Amino acid sequence: MRFEVFTDEFEALIGTNFWTMIFAWVNLLILYLFLRKLLFNPVKNMIDNRQKEIDDMYADAAEKEKAAEADKAAYAKKLRLAGEESENIRKQAQREALLKEEEILKEAQDQAQRTRKRAEEEIEREKKRALNEIKDEVSGMAIEIASSLIGRDVKEEEHRAMIDDFISHMDEKS
Amino acid sequence: MDDLELGNGAKVYVKLWLNDHFSINLVTQTTVSLFVVTVTLILLAFFIGRNLKKRPSRLQVLVEKGITAFYGIVEDTMGKHNMKYAPYILTVFLSSVFGSLIGMTQIFRSTTADLMVVMGWALVTSALCWYEGIKNNGFLGWLKGYTEPIAVMTPMNVISEVAQPISMAFRHFGNVTGGGVLTTLIYAALAALTHVVFCWLPPQILSWIPPVFQIGIPAFLSIYFDLFSGFVQAFVFSLLTMVYVGSANPPPAEETAKNN
Repeated sequence: MRFEVFTDEFEALIGTNFWTMIFAWVNLLILYLFLRKLLFNPVKNMIDNRQKEIDDMYADAAEKEKAAEADKAAYAKKLRLAGEESENIRKQAQREALLKEEEILKEAQDQAQRTRKRAEEEIEREKKRALNEIKDEVSGMAIEIASSLIGRDVKEEEHRAMIDDFISHMDEKS
Repeated sequence: MDDLELGNGAKVYVKLWLNDHFSINLVTQTTVSLFVVTVTLILLAFFIGRNLKKRPSRLQVLVEKGITAFYGIVEDTMGKHNMKYAPYILTVFLSSVFGSLIGMTQIFRSTTADLMVVMGWALVTSALCWYEGIKNNGFLGWLKGYTEPIAVMTPMNVISEVAQPISMAFRHFGNVTGGGVLTTLIYAALAALTHVVFCWLPPQILSWIPPVFQIGIPAFLSIYFDLFSGFVQAFVFSLLTMVYVGSANPPPAEETAKNN
């Protein structure tokens, strides 16, 4: 057994060297194992991971959007409720104010009425008093006039009653 | 005109004589090229695979795109259930491309210009087909498959089974070797053209004139015969592997039902 190095020989163009085939197999196997381990699987994993990350991000974004949408709806509802509440408060206040207004008005009217009534009574009283005064005066004057006219003393009591009667008749006429 | 490499195979570097009459060619140009291709690819894979990032560099984008595209072709051709073969087929593809292109260095000989290399790969394809056939149908069922559709067809089926790796191997080998042979022929023709064009010169000067037409023109031809043909043949070889192995391992019944 001996080696012959750097021969000048060439193989046939259509080679039949099975050693070459075995060597090709070995090379293919080694290449397969190494390329798969060093390149194909890492690249595939990297792509898959990136894809997964992107998918996650999208899913996350969709979820967040959903949550935001829900928040928005909740806020809108709250806002609407607040509006309604303020409306209610306003209406209530209005109602109360109206009631108060009526009350005040009524009281004022009552008071006015009372005052007027009192004033009327006062006037009536005053009228009566004035009338009496006038009556006294007029009857006095009449007696005086009559006594001076007749020239004699007149029974004051009788005439007074007569005159009073006359005046009250006048009062009725007026 | 020396076209001495035209009809030759790989140069024998180390020959092992087992006895006085029997020898094996232990190391040839092809084995050296195979070794160089393997080391180159492993180093490339190492340096690219080492620096993978979530935010890829340009090179990584290119590599990812390439691998994704190739895996996509494998998936389209073989189906999702055969994706375990994708790394192997991509390995064959890369071996073939680099093996063909290494011939362009003019230092190494294309590995695929050696029939035994491509025959080895083609036999692996056949072996994978047989493995899938036996796995899916059992050994007897697989043998019975050769008698279908009728028993008379058995010899034809056996011949086609034998012809499959041979045709695959010779197709690839023939294209690459043919390209090489053509390139050699064109170089010779261009050298002759130099002689023809400058034939009016005295012979003493003519022998000193370099073959000027050999500059430039072969480069364009090389783009087709080496670069383009190298890729196409690698692709064809991978595609045939996908088709053969894929048809030996059809998709499971429920998956077919689902698709229909």
